[in-house]
Amino acid sequence: MTTQSDEVTRTSSPDELDELRRTARAMLDRDAPTTAVRSLLDDPRGYDPALWRAMAELGWLGLLAPVAHGGAGAGLTETVVVAEQLGAHLVASPFLASAVLATSALALGGTPTQQERWLPALANGAAIGTAALTGSLGRADGAASGVTLERTGTSVRLDGVVRFVPDAHVADVIVLAAHDGEERALVAIETAADGVRVEPTPTIDHTRRLNDLHLDGVVVDDAALLEADVTDDVLLRGVVALAADGVGAAREILTRAVEYAKERVQFGRPIGSFQAVKHMLANMYVLTEAASVAVEGAAEAFDADASNAARLAEIAASYARDAAVKVAGDAVQAHGGIGFTWEHDCHLFLKRTQLGAALLGDPAEHRERLAALMLAAARDQQSS
Amino acid sequence: MSDLGAHETPELGAFRARVRSWLEANVPRDWEEALAGATPDEFVAFHCDWVRTLRRGGYLVPHWPPEHGGGCSVAEQIVIHQEMARARAPQLRVHMISLNHAGATLIEHGTPEQRKLLDGILDGAIWCQGFSEPNAGSDLASLQTRAVRDGDHYVVNGHKIWSSMANHAQWCLLLARTDPTVPKHKGISYFILDLSSDGVEIRPIRQATGDSEFCEIFLTDVRIPVEQRIGEEGEGWRIAQTTLTNERGAAIIELHERLVEAHERLCREALETLRAPGTVAADDAAIRQELARRGAEVDILGLLAARMFRNLLGRGNLGPEASIIKLFYSELLQSLTALGVEVRGMPAYLDHGRPFAGSWTTGDWLMDHIGSWTWTIAGGTNEIQRNVIGERVLGLPREPAIQ
Repeated sequence: MTTQSDEVTRTSSPDELDELRRTARAMLDRDAPTTAVRSLLDDPRGYDPALWRAMAELGWLGLLAPVAHGGAGAGLTETVVVAEQLGAHLVASPFLASAVLATSALALGGTPTQQERWLPALANGAAIGTAALTGSLGRADGAASGVTLERTGTSVRLDGVVRFVPDAHVADVIVLAAHDGEERALVAIETAADGVRVEPTPTIDHTRRLNDLHLDGVVVDDAALLEADVTDDVLLRGVVALAADGVGAAREILTRAVEYAKERVQFGRPIGSFQAVKHMLANMYVLTEAASVAVEGAAEAFDADASNAARLAEIAASYARDAAVKVAGDAVQAHGGIGFTWEHDCHLFLKRTQLGAALLGDPAEHRERLAALMLAAARDQQSS
Repeated sequence: MSDLGAHETPELGAFRARVRSWLEANVPRDWEEALAGATPDEFVAFHCDWVRTLRRGGYLVPHWPPEHGGGCSVAEQIVIHQEMARARAPQLRVHMISLNHAGATLIEHGTPEQRKLLDGILDGAIWCQGFSEPNAGSDLASLQTRAVRDGDHYVVNGHKIWSSMANHAQWCLLLARTDPTVPKHKGISYFILDLSSDGVEIRPIRQATGDSEFCEIFLTDVRIPVEQRIGEEGEGWRIAQTTLTNERGAAIIELHERLVEAHERLCREALETLRAPGTVAADDAAIRQELARRGAEVDILGLLAARMFRNLLGRGNLGPEASIIKLFYSELLQSLTALGVEVRGMPAYLDHGRPFAGSWTTGDWLMDHIGSWTWTIAGGTNEIQRNVIGERVLGLPREPAIQ
């Protein structure tokens, strides 16, 4: 992992990334086996505070925070390495909400006061953050569809409902998108503020928690407004992290499906020797590798501030997340009846990859955005 | 057009500039239009000229060792392929076997005398491959063509098929069985066959595309001198394996860049093609979804190739990505050209009498689409590729052989 003092993010070397991957895998193998997530299925918090502290101590929660604010000053390249391992272990935690969405929003668009107030606490795990950027419909283009913003003197009043907000039930601070009738703005509010009500909504994927966020005449100082509307930038970082989570999950469940196909004997031979099964597993491997380079490519492009960063992030958001769902579904099929039981982990991987694909705008919505980017480039070529 | 990003040193940038300006000066103007009505002989002659032009420029065999006229680093090879695609230079389809399989085989396994044939390759000699047989396709090792030793010659009888460009070729890389008494992989030997030998009969096969790239080769008591055997008797299968896997990997860079260009062209076409009065194909939500899907896969193919080369440069081996590249490329070529047909609509179905394709993505989308099955079948069908991935990468058990 890279640390540095200036604002430019340096990408870790392949060896450093391998080391980060090994460390993450070793820690999670020990402290967060996929059996652990089952003990959290009915836990109202939905995460393990001890594991959360361990993640903070390893520096994972501050990867995207600048060094000046207690972070590692690393980038998406490092973030996706950790996210993949979290997906592979089905870790239930507010990592996406706090370490990716809230931290990115504040680091990219927050005022110096907001950054000073929240980034060190988010990085060391003392506080948890989230972001409510997809409105009442949970769509990437619905950022401001839920909340109205009214300015009176130096205060702002917020009203409305945002749905599907990850981990708001355990968050201390929420960055939310609101609309004043003319433009969209981001506001950082504390969940303890008067008029804020968080209502947990049970999810089919028990490893992630979503909430309805009700804002009934919430009045905050206009210092709560962020300096810039960085919604799209934050969403793209979020979908890349989600895609990485999906790649990790896909790789893990593929490995298990391959092992099962080597052991399970029918008609006198391992089912993995049948081409119908072998080819399905080969296709799952191709999808997983393709999704994995899409995620890596997007992360590197973001960290290098490359001109194709948005395009690659939309590819990760659509192709890689779809691929993870397909692999997880085929893994159920490869396991047969046993893969459909509650006791087997297959369904946990399938549900996690499915919600992971839908969050922050589904693959079809991101494909539409990708098409818009590609057609705009084609229009530029036509006119030049 | 992508570059090598962080890997692009100033030296490499200067190399790129040299390649680019050379191509600007040397790619024949409007060659695609000029070839539109060409006869097969004219098509082949054009490619032989292009090979000699590339040789003069020093860009024909960058992947060969320096003592044979090559010696470019992998990074330089990537640059050459990128610039070739960017310049829309003719793709080296006629000489693919000469420059890749024949070159690699002679360099790696040939005797000094046999390696003298490399000079001919540099001068435009066309080689073909005599591997497949009517009853030995995916199961290549079951081939039945026999080579029987007779003094200082072998006498060869058999029937080869799917030999691309054999009717224009001077030489053939031939696999034949020298020992039918040992297990099938062990009784095969590797030969250089002069196609002007007595007893060789070549019949072109008319393909789905209407043209005739591949041929049948009938061998009747053909005499091949012993010194034209490559390697020892019985080593043919092993030699064929090494040369098949040593196809120049950097070629995928050019194939990828051509797909980048084809996808950009398709996006422009979608913006211009009327669907209904006042709307174009690019307004159709379903078309937009597909353009995005194919564009994503084009970028991903480039990233897969980049990871493969990073492994090659940094860790010394290609990594498992190598096995999925052909699968991914061929299926993408098929689906991208299918989308081209969909975008163009009914005009895609009209025949423009294309005699030969100068590339795999000419923009005559339906013909390109039909031609794409060459890629999903030749060089190991995609089903065989999936077996390779399943068995060699994932470690799944082979299917039990039927005795």
